Amino acid sequence: MAVASRTPLPGAHGMGERIVDALLSGRGIWPAVPAIIVLTVVAVIPFVILLSLGFSDIEVSRGAIASRTFSLEYIANALTDPLYWTTFQRSMTLALTTTALCVFFGYPVAYLYLVGGRWTKRLILVLTIAPLLTSGIVRTYAWLVILGGRGVVNSTLMGLGLIDQPLRIMNTHWAVLIGMVQIHLPVMILPLIAVMSRHDTRLMEAAANLGASHLGTLRTVIMPLSVPGIGTGAALVFTLSYTTFVVPQLLGGGNYLNAATMIYEQVVYSLEWSKGSVSSMILMVTCLIVLVAIALVTNHFTRWTQGRDA
Amino acid sequence: MSLFRHSSLSDALGIGLILAVAVFSLLLLVAPSIIVLMISFDTRAFVSFPPEGFTLRWYAEVFEQGELVDAMLNSLQVGLTVTLLCILLGVPTALVCARGRFRGTTALSVFVLVPHMVPGIVLGVAVLFAGALVNVSPSIWLQSVAITVFILAVMVRTVQSRLLRLDPALEEAAANLRATPFQSLRTVTFPLLLPAILAGAVFTFVEGFDNLSVAIFTHGFRDRPLPVELLALVQYTSSPLVAAVSGVQIVLAIAALVAVSLSIGLDNVND
Repeated sequence: MAVASRTPLPGAHGMGERIVDALLSGRGIWPAVPAIIVLTVVAVIPFVILLSLGFSDIEVSRGAIASRTFSLEYIANALTDPLYWTTFQRSMTLALTTTALCVFFGYPVAYLYLVGGRWTKRLILVLTIAPLLTSGIVRTYAWLVILGGRGVVNSTLMGLGLIDQPLRIMNTHWAVLIGMVQIHLPVMILPLIAVMSRHDTRLMEAAANLGASHLGTLRTVIMPLSVPGIGTGAALVFTLSYTTFVVPQLLGGGNYLNAATMIYEQVVYSLEWSKGSVSSMILMVTCLIVLVAIALVTNHFTRWTQGRDA
Repeated sequence: MSLFRHSSLSDALGIGLILAVAVFSLLLLVAPSIIVLMISFDTRAFVSFPPEGFTLRWYAEVFEQGELVDAMLNSLQVGLTVTLLCILLGVPTALVCARGRFRGTTALSVFVLVPHMVPGIVLGVAVLFAGALVNVSPSIWLQSVAITVFILAVMVRTVQSRLLRLDPALEEAAANLRATPFQSLRTVTFPLLLPAILAGAVFTFVEGFDNLSVAIFTHGFRDRPLPVELLALVQYTSSPLVAAVSGVQIVLAIAALVAVSLSIGLDNVND
């Protein structure tokens, strides 16, 4: 290691350190350049390619693209084929219902977090974060166990003598919806908790001192302040449930097609990459439209509450 | 604050109802894992509830199945690669985003976030297609790089939010004491950032280990990661074997939670 002749501080001061100093002292963009290059090569360029493939007729052989010619056929097909419409409509309805139900079941948990004591808060955090650390497949598998023919629900109901035959819950729309809500619930609760824990608790006390009931405080103080949390949670849950693959595949049975399973079949099984590109683009664009809508609604209500403060 | 200090009947009923839904939701979160754990010790070779008897047979079988062990090792490799890449690429980027003195730091933060906001399967498909154009076929490396790009934003944001909460006076003091930028980074900033980097590492590792949406399009044909292997297993078999794999994962998840709460405290995860 070369020792510099004039060091600002005693101690070895090598070439590498001087380069790092030079890079850091300007406070410029240099340290981020590797990340920018990787993101460009592995995300930005592939997205552009994906876009261009939607406008081409592609032949795939042995995992490589054999030939490629310009064609508007697949875009036109997608816009007229009823299969696309019903599939994306099914995904959209499912995702919006899931999001709404996650708000319904998640908000009370966040409220309990807000009013609960120290150990309640800890318990809620553990129960919410732990599922996120286990895989979605494992969590979906649990629902196979619960809803299956000899599963928890049917065994219990038959044990109680309420039904003679096992109910057919698996491989229905209901199984998919139940699984979706449970699996995405933590993703709704965490942003809600994050926003609520920033609330000034004195606001709630003030409301109580002014004679507001608990429900009144919830409606006029807590809920308006937690709108941004609902927005973030809804955006996350919608994106995940609109584009998920595992739950419909496992709980919906072989014939249940949503956007993600359709893309998977087009890309991996039937090797129709043009169709796959078009479907991916539709998925991305429709997802973006809903996200923008959620952001606009959130902003509207946030500004509305801020306006009332003034 | 006592919950029912001055409340009318309807108020108490309404709050009671909300709290009841909250308790139901919390049970809903935890019940499936508990049921899976119970099934994983069942002596019968098919999934049924309630379980009869107790055996560790399925856990033993998990480790006797070559494909499952291979898949676990593959996922472990992907998880570690993703974590390492995210630290190497993400920490410097977070420094620039938080401390950079040029216009466009916000644009940089947004740019890093974009691949994370795009649905995983769209990123997976895009990387697969782009690879096919330049003759890069799916492999454990393509999968690792694709997941890194997908999850990098989490590392950047975790470290960045920590940086923004650090007192800038600490770094100024180091500079006044004539520490070079590198010395100040190594002796002052980096130790303070370590908890955030650890937390980011846990989450990027879990993503690398568990990701299916990106992996399903980019994984190598021969080195299948655990989620892909598990998906096939769940679809085509009905033995409690999957429950045992789940049991292993649940234990690992608890270990990860303990690691995070020891390093930064659970309360800070959310920021």
